[in-house]
Amino acid sequence: MTTSAIERTRSTQDLILGVDVGGTFTDFVFLQDGAIKIAKRPSTPDDPGRAIINGLTEFGWSPEEVVHGSTVATNTLLTRTGAPTALITTRGFRDTLVIGRQARPDLYALHPQRHEPLVPQRWRFEVEERISADGTVVTALDLEELDGVLDRIERTGVRSVAICFLFSFINSVHEAQAAQRARERGFRVSASYEVLPQHREFERMSTTAANAYLAPVMTGYLDALEARLSSDASRDVRLRIMQSNGGSLSAGSAGRHAVRTVLSGPAGGVAGAFASAESDGFPQAITFDMGGTSADVALCPGRLLERTDLVVDDMPIRTPAVDLHTVGAGGGSIAWFDPGGALRVGPQSAGADPGPASYGTGTQPTVTDAHAVLGRLRPEQQLGGTVALDIDRARRAIAAISEPFGSVESAAQAVIDVVNANMARALRVISVERGYDPANFTLVAFGGAGPLHACDLADAVGIPQALIPSSPGVLSAAGMLISDITRDAEQGLHVAVDPDASGRINALTAALDDLAGQARRAIAEDGYDQGVVIEFAADLRYRGQSHELTVSLSDGFEAESVRDAFHVAHRERFGFASLDTPVEVVTARAKARHPGHRGDITLRQEAGGSEDGRAVVTWHQPLDTRILPRDLVVEPIHGPAIITQIDTTVTVPPGWISAPLPSGSLLLSRETRS
Amino acid sequence: MTNVSIDPARLAIFDSLVSSIAEEMGAALRHTALSPNIKERADFSCAVFDREGQLLAQAAHIPVHLGAMPESVRAVERLAPWRPGDLAILNDPFLGGTHLPDVTMVSPVFAHGAMEGDEPIGYVASRAHQADIGGMAPGSMPVARELIQEGIVIPPIRLYRGGVLVEEAMDLILRNVRTPDERRGDFNAQIAAQRLGERRIADLHRDYGDDSYLRTTKALLDYGERLTRAALMELPHGTWEFSDSLDDDGHSSEPVPIRLKLTLSDDRAHFDFSGSAEQRAASINAVAPVTRSACYYVIRCLLPPDTPMNSGLFRPITFTLPERSVVAAQSPVAVAAGNVETSQRIVDTVWGAFNQLLPERMPAASSGTMNNLTAGGIDPRSGQPWAYYETSGGGLGGGPEGPGLDAAHSHMTNTLNTPAEALELAYPLRVVENSIRPRSGGPGRHRGGHGLIRRTQFLGEAQLTLITERRTGQPWGSQGGEPGTIGRNILETISANGRPVRRKLPGKVTINVQPGDVIRVETPGGGGWGRPKPR
Repeated sequence: MTTSAIERTRSTQDLILGVDVGGTFTDFVFLQDGAIKIAKRPSTPDDPGRAIINGLTEFGWSPEEVVHGSTVATNTLLTRTGAPTALITTRGFRDTLVIGRQARPDLYALHPQRHEPLVPQRWRFEVEERISADGTVVTALDLEELDGVLDRIERTGVRSVAICFLFSFINSVHEAQAAQRARERGFRVSASYEVLPQHREFERMSTTAANAYLAPVMTGYLDALEARLSSDASRDVRLRIMQSNGGSLSAGSAGRHAVRTVLSGPAGGVAGAFASAESDGFPQAITFDMGGTSADVALCPGRLLERTDLVVDDMPIRTPAVDLHTVGAGGGSIAWFDPGGALRVGPQSAGADPGPASYGTGTQPTVTDAHAVLGRLRPEQQLGGTVALDIDRARRAIAAISEPFGSVESAAQAVIDVVNANMARALRVISVERGYDPANFTLVAFGGAGPLHACDLADAVGIPQALIPSSPGVLSAAGMLISDITRDAEQGLHVAVDPDASGRINALTAALDDLAGQARRAIAEDGYDQGVVIEFAADLRYRGQSHELTVSLSDGFEAESVRDAFHVAHRERFGFASLDTPVEVVTARAKARHPGHRGDITLRQEAGGSEDGRAVVTWHQPLDTRILPRDLVVEPIHGPAIITQIDTTVTVPPGWISAPLPSGSLLLSRETRS
Repeated sequence: MTNVSIDPARLAIFDSLVSSIAEEMGAALRHTALSPNIKERADFSCAVFDREGQLLAQAAHIPVHLGAMPESVRAVERLAPWRPGDLAILNDPFLGGTHLPDVTMVSPVFAHGAMEGDEPIGYVASRAHQADIGGMAPGSMPVARELIQEGIVIPPIRLYRGGVLVEEAMDLILRNVRTPDERRGDFNAQIAAQRLGERRIADLHRDYGDDSYLRTTKALLDYGERLTRAALMELPHGTWEFSDSLDDDGHSSEPVPIRLKLTLSDDRAHFDFSGSAEQRAASINAVAPVTRSACYYVIRCLLPPDTPMNSGLFRPITFTLPERSVVAAQSPVAVAAGNVETSQRIVDTVWGAFNQLLPERMPAASSGTMNNLTAGGIDPRSGQPWAYYETSGGGLGGGPEGPGLDAAHSHMTNTLNTPAEALELAYPLRVVENSIRPRSGGPGRHRGGHGLIRRTQFLGEAQLTLITERRTGQPWGSQGGEPGTIGRNILETISANGRPVRRKLPGKVTINVQPGDVIRVETPGGGGWGRPKPR
C-alpha cells in the first residue's frame, strides 16, 4: 500500500471519495478539507466492496459521497453469473439473440464458435403483436397470450424479464402494456423502449437482455455497499457509480440501468486523463493507458467522445460508452517468432503470474524484460514497493530470441519496436481513420507502462508532445471523483431534416423537448434538480446511409443548422460532405448534466528515496543517461533521461525534453534544433 | 527460394502499417456508402498492392474476394501508362471481375513529388457488391444463361483521367442500372476509399524511402510464402480425391459435378479440378479467380490465427483448371451464381479432400449455400424503384471440437443480415419470421448446426429471384455423422377463393409476387460429425 498527501489551497469541506476497483488493486482518491489523499489496497474479487470498506476503516476516512467505478457489470457478463432472465418478443423473433447478424466471429476459424446467448431457448417466448415501420399497429397485442406467457415464466421461477417488440422505438404501446402487466405481477422488467429506444432489433434486444440479466445483481451489490458505507459512517453516504460514458449516476439508478455501467472502470481512466490534460491546457488529447496485459487508447477532441457500438462476448451493448480502443499490448506481453520468422509481441501475456522474467518467476521474454535489458527499467526500482527487478533473468529471457538480431540489446529494442507498432495501429484507428490529425493532439500516458512508451509512440504516429500526469497510477479513481452526474435519454426517430414553416424540425424538436424532460426527471430522481444543464445531440445520416454520426446540437434545432452541423461532422470524419443529399435524424439525444467536483485535484508525489544519478542506457546505442526521481524534476530535463516514480517510469529519449508543469504533470516535447 | 533478408521486427511492423491502410480504406467505404448491402452487410473488400500487382494487404470481409483482387490489378494493366489521379473501374468477370454486381475500382499510387512519366509505386483496389447493376432482374442476380443478361458489363476503363471524372463513362453506367442515385453514392464511397488509400501508401513510401519500401514489400511477400510452406510441411503428403455437386444449373435438373484431386508434397499444394463439369448456359459458372479464392480460403483456415494476408501466402499453391468448365468459365456464359453458390461447393469439395487427410481436425460440410434472394419493383409508398439483396446463413458442420453453429454464414461469405427494422424502413417488405429451423442439423456425436427460417412478406408487387443450393443434395456428414437437412423455398400466398396456399419453388427461380405474398426460405442444416449415440 502506498499513501501520499499533498496540500491544496482550496478549503471547502468536500469529503468525496473516488474509488476504482480493478482486478489487482483498489485505488482510492479522497478529497477532504481541500486536500487530496491517495491510496491503494489489494482488491477482494469475491466481494469487491470489502476492499473499499476495509480501506476506509484503515485510513480513517469518512466520505459523504463515494463515486465508484465498478467492474461488477462487466465481470457478471463475462462470467455469466447474472440473474436468470426470460425474454418476451414479437412472434417470429424468438431466436434473434442467437441468430444475431448471422456472421461468424472469426472468418478463418476451422470450427467457428460463438458465446451462448444470455437467455436460453426455454426462457425465450413469443406473443402475437406487430407494429409496422411507420408505427401503425398491424396486429394488436394478444393480452391473453401474454398472460399465458407470464404464467409460464412464473412457473420457471425466473424473476427478471426482458421485453423487446419490433418497432417499439417508434410506437411503444405494446411494450408499455406488456411491461406494466409483468410489473403488476411482480416481475423485474427491462423493456427495450426504456433501455434503448433505437432501431435494429438484435442490438436493442441484446442490450435489453443484458440489462435484465445485470440489474438484479448490480442492485444487490450496490444496496449492500451503500448500507455498509452508511452504517460504518453512522450517516447517509451518497453512492454514485461511473457509467460507461464517463458520467456518474446514483447507485439506485445504476442498479436499474446496470447495462450503462459495463465500461465503468476504463471510463474513469479516460475521464481522469482527459481532465488532467484539460486542466494543464491541452484539451485536444489522446489518452493512453498501458498496463500488464493490454493498452487502452481514446481520442478526446476537447471533450469525451462517446460510442454506441460496444460488443462484449458477441453481445452488442448499445448504450453510450467512452470511445475506447483496446489492444493486447502490455508490459507482460510475450515476444515470439511466428512460423514465417517474424517477431510478434502479444497478445499472450505473462500476466501477474508468472509475470515477466525479470519479476523472478517467469521465463518468457516480455516487454518489461526488454526495458530491463535496455536499462530503462532500473534494477534499484521497487515494483509496487515489493520486488526488485532481476536484470540477469531478463537478459537470459531476451537472449533466447536474440539470434536474428545480433545482440541482446538489439533484440530488446526489436521487442519494443514491435509492441509500439501494435499500439500505433490502435492509435491510427482512433485518429486518422476518423479524420483527426494526430499532429493536433497531446498523448496523455498513464498506467504502469504508458510513460515508458509515450515518446516512441508519439513519434510513430506523429503526435508532437506527451503529457504524464503526476499520479498516473490512480488516474481512474481521480476521474471518478471529479465526474459529472449525467443522465441520458435517447429516442429513435427516422425523420428528414426538412425545414417546416418555422424553420424548425417539428418531430425532432418535439422529441428533444420530451427527452429533455425525461433526462431532467431522471437526474432529479438521483437527487440533482439544481444546476442541471441539458445538452442536445442527434444521430444523423444522409438518406440511404445506414451508419449514423452523433452530432451535437449546441447551435439549435433549426433545420439549416442541424444540416450544417452534420455536413461539417461528415467532412471531418470521412473527408467529404454531400451537400445535395437529404439528411435524416435517426436518434435524438438529450443529456442532463450536473457538474461534479470542480477545481484542482493535483496529486503530487511525496519525495522519493532515490537520488539523481547516471547510468548507461541503450537508445539504439548505449548512451550515458541521467536517472532521477520525479520529485527532483524541477526544471526542463534534456533526454536521454529516465524519471522514476513509485508507480511508473518515464523515459525521455534523446531529442526530447521533459518539463514540469505547475500542476505537477510532466510535458514531454521534441527538442527544437536551432 | 531467394528471400530478401530483413529484420524480423520490421516485417511485423510493416505488415501492421499496410494492413492499417487497407482497413482504413474499408472503414471509409463502409461509413460513406449509401446502400444497406455495403453498410449493413459489409459486402466489400479493400486491398493494397505493390508495383508488380502483388497483394500486400487486404481488409477482407469476404473470402471470395481473396484470390480475385490481384486479377483486377492485372486486368487494368492494359490501361497503362498511368497518370496521377487516374482511376479504373471494372466488373467484367472475364477481365478481372468475379460477377457483375461486384464492381471493382483500381487506382495507381504515385510517389509524392512524382514527375511526368514516372511509374506507379503500387496500386490500391476496392470491390463492393452493388445492390443492382442492371440486367433482366432487379438485384442483378437473375436465373440467366448469358453474361449480358445479368447486367451492364464494364471492361477495365478509366473512370477518372488525371483526377478528372470521365463523366460520359459514369453516365453510361448509371443509365444502365435501376437505382442510379444509390449507385452514384456507393461509387463515390468507393472513390473516396481509393483516394484515401493512395494518399496513405504514398505517405508510407515517403517515410520508408524508395529502396527500403521496395525491399520491405518483397520481404513481406517472402514472409507470407514461408508461413504457408511451414504449414504445408506439417501436413501428411499424398494425393486425395473428392467430388461434390451443385443441385442443378437452374435450367435443367441435372446435377453439376465438381471433382478435385489434391496433391500435397513437401511444402507445396496442387489442386487439380480435371473432370469437373463443363461450363453451362446458366449462371452457376465460376471464373478461375473465384475457384482459386475458394482453395486459398481453405488453406488460410489451416494457417495460424493472426496470419497476415498477402500474395506470398499463395505462391506454394498451384492449379490445374480445365478450360471452359464450371470452375474456370469463359465468355459468354452467365456467372452470377458462380461467385456465390459454386464457390461454396468448391469449398465443400476441397473441405472433403482435407477431411480425408485430417479427419481429427476438419468439421463436416456446412450448409453450402448463401440462399441468395433478390427482389425489386416500385415502392408504393414513394413511387421510386427499389432493389434489395439478402443472403441467409444456415447450419455449420459439426466438428471434432463440438456442434456446428446455428444460423450463420459459412466459408466464402460472412455478410451480415439486414435487420428487420432497417429493411422495413427502406423497402416495401415485412419480415414475419426469422428463426432457427429446428432439427435441421445432421445428427452426429457433434451435430451439425441448424438452418434458418426467414419469411418475408411483400407489401407491393415485386419481382423475386432466388438462387439457392442444397435443395436436393444434402450437406455431408463426416466420421460417421449424418448429413444436414436440405433447404426449401416456399411461396405462401392466398388462392383466388381466399384459402392460404403453400407453393414449393425450385432452388433457382424468378417469379412475380403480389402484395401479401410471403416468401419462406428454409436454409439447410450442417452435416454432423462422428457417429451419433444410439438412442
